[in-house]
Amino acid sequence: MPRYRKRWQSFMEKNGITGFAPSDVGAVEKTYVWFADDGDIAASGSIAGNVLKYVAVCSKYKNGGSLFNEVVSHLVSEEASRGRFHLFVFTKPKYVNSFGYVGFKPLGQTDQAALLETGTPGIQDFLQQLPKFDSGITGAIVMNANPFTKGHRALVERASQECDHVYLFVVQAERSLFTFQERFALVKAGVKDLTNVVVVPGGEYMVSSATFPAYFLKSDQDIGQYQAKLDASIFLKSIAVPLNITRRYLGEEPNSKTTASYNQMLQAVLPPKVTVEIMSRKTFNGEVISATKVRQAITEGRQELIEQFLPVSTAEFVKAHFTELKNRISTEGK
Amino acid sequence: MEERLRRTMMFVPGNNAGMVKDAGIYGADSIMFDLEDSVSMDQKDAARMLVYEALQTQDYGDAELVVRVNGIDTPYFRNDVFAMVKAGIQVVRLPKVESAQMMLDLVKVVEEAEKKFNIPVGTTHVMAAIESARGVMKALEIAESTDRMIGLALSAEDYTTDMKTHRYPDGAELEFARNMILHAARAAGIAAFDTVFTNMNDIEGFQRETEHIHQLGFDGKSLVNPRQIDWVNKVYEPSKAEIENALDVEAAIEEAHEKGSGVISMNGQMVDRPVVLRAQRVIRLAKASGLINEDGEYIEE
Amino acid sequence: MEIKQTALAGTLESSDIQITLSQGNEGIQIDLDSSVEALYGPQIKKVITDTLAAYDIENAKVKAVDKGALDCVIKARTMAAAQRALGTVDKPNWEVL
Repeated sequence: MPRYRKRWQSFMEKNGITGFAPSDVGAVEKTYVWFADDGDIAASGSIAGNVLKYVAVCSKYKNGGSLFNEVVSHLVSEEASRGRFHLFVFTKPKYVNSFGYVGFKPLGQTDQAALLETGTPGIQDFLQQLPKFDSGITGAIVMNANPFTKGHRALVERASQECDHVYLFVVQAERSLFTFQERFALVKAGVKDLTNVVVVPGGEYMVSSATFPAYFLKSDQDIGQYQAKLDASIFLKSIAVPLNITRRYLGEEPNSKTTASYNQMLQAVLPPKVTVEIMSRKTFNGEVISATKVRQAITEGRQELIEQFLPVSTAEFVKAHFTELKNRISTEGK
Repeated sequence: MEERLRRTMMFVPGNNAGMVKDAGIYGADSIMFDLEDSVSMDQKDAARMLVYEALQTQDYGDAELVVRVNGIDTPYFRNDVFAMVKAGIQVVRLPKVESAQMMLDLVKVVEEAEKKFNIPVGTTHVMAAIESARGVMKALEIAESTDRMIGLALSAEDYTTDMKTHRYPDGAELEFARNMILHAARAAGIAAFDTVFTNMNDIEGFQRETEHIHQLGFDGKSLVNPRQIDWVNKVYEPSKAEIENALDVEAAIEEAHEKGSGVISMNGQMVDRPVVLRAQRVIRLAKASGLINEDGEYIEE
Repeated sequence: MEIKQTALAGTLESSDIQITLSQGNEGIQIDLDSSVEALYGPQIKKVITDTLAAYDIENAKVKAVDKGALDCVIKARTMAAAQRALGTVDKPNWEVL
């Protein structure tokens, strides 16, 4: 409703919500607005996938609390009618209690933002399906592995040597050249000799479109900052603590600004409960190995680089699907 | 038809748990649970269950319990009627009625449900909401369509749209419909309910409209907000003189009964039936307004 | 009866309860969120369990967010969620009602 867009935005701004970057607003599927008797906007809320966004209730209306419940209730029902029963809300820390009263559970929080979830399957269901380790040192790696390189392999090897158990979470969001299924299979194949490493899907809790939407938009640096911090706090509170993870391994990131600032945030947020181990990038003939370069090589049709950067299992897959991958890049721009 | 007060018929959105729960505490003469316009399409099933369960368990005092089901041409209609009949609703209100046949179609489904759930056939009453020009023109045949009828209600929002107008403060656009519905109801010996007044901020306008429909002779008004109940009751409150007179009539009836006489006389004059009926109505109103004590005496304010 | 699809009924408004039913395989597991849980938790869970039993639902995960609902509301919302989860919204089970 373009007719209401301006009024909606000024209502949001009046209520202290200021993030209107195209990447945020663009993700919104539907916005609902409640009007007061005098015709002014009294409340509004939006849905973007399984995330509730831009929820605001004007404080000048009495029964603000019950109007808030009505708004959230309506959004939850709308999501349910679209078949979505596991929902997140991305909000300011001061609204954490309000969402708590309507059944949302906090996953993580920073001074700027908080992420809560409700519905099923939730974080408990996610944790329940993972193996648990009660003794020894447990480490964790989160990787997108688009695709799994010799650099990734080196990082996993190190963690495998230094820890008794390693969780290797593969980012589940489908925003990459290689599908989640492909990435997951290649990671598994690439580490199958390391018996203390368990490869598991990252679910919606690690670098997902809910926890860290800007990760997939390389341009939005500032948004990336606070989302990275939130993602880190979610990992600490909802993943590391319940799974007894005390170390997280990261690859040094000389080339991607987003990933570099994510690494910085992890170093700032995770200690002392979780120590952060950063490993410098593996090189080949003095050239840093990275998945980005692999994708470039596919684009440019330089098959020879592939074997230099990739372990055998990944290299075979890429060679077997070379044309198809190239087509994906040209048609989807990934 | 059983004579009862129907000054206020309060609308209760059928999927609102809080309002369904509290509907009995405001003292409305009739409570109308709505399964139709106030309930979104994807919540029809949930509202039906909520009202059903509430009717089974909640105490709504002496209020007459009415439910507005979804239109006869909707996929919800049949299940609505079945659930409400099973729950023992007193009156099923059908929206957008335009012919006697629609009421007969409703009654057929009501009867089917009564038989299915072992409820004596004829227990459930019905009423019609008139919401269109055609409905207004057919008011009498609708009012006389079935013995189960207890009333006609005007629904002005749809009606004014159908008439290519909208509501005005003076209500001139509703005058014909009000009179048609009222006459049809009176001719059929059933109740007439006036439409809702939605602007909660215009108390004066509400007052004016209520006085007007009271003067015309409506039994009462449909309401969307419990605050309006007292305002309507105030308008319908009989005056001291009316009450004193009604009490005199009642005493005369008593006296005639004691004498075993069929003729009721007061101050040497014969009291005819309309006077008796009006007196009975005034006493009912006075009692409901708390203006007569248990001994049947007028209470000075 | 087997739950065919996850279903939600009820609202988060005062005096209501929001019930989400999904497939489970360890009996009826209820995750209840209520400000009166200490006092009324067992009763709320009993109403939910009894209602599901009336629909012959033996395995289900239930998430309930209670905002002070009366028993009749808990029952109504559980019934609505059950009918939706079983895919029988258009054919209410009159014997259960």
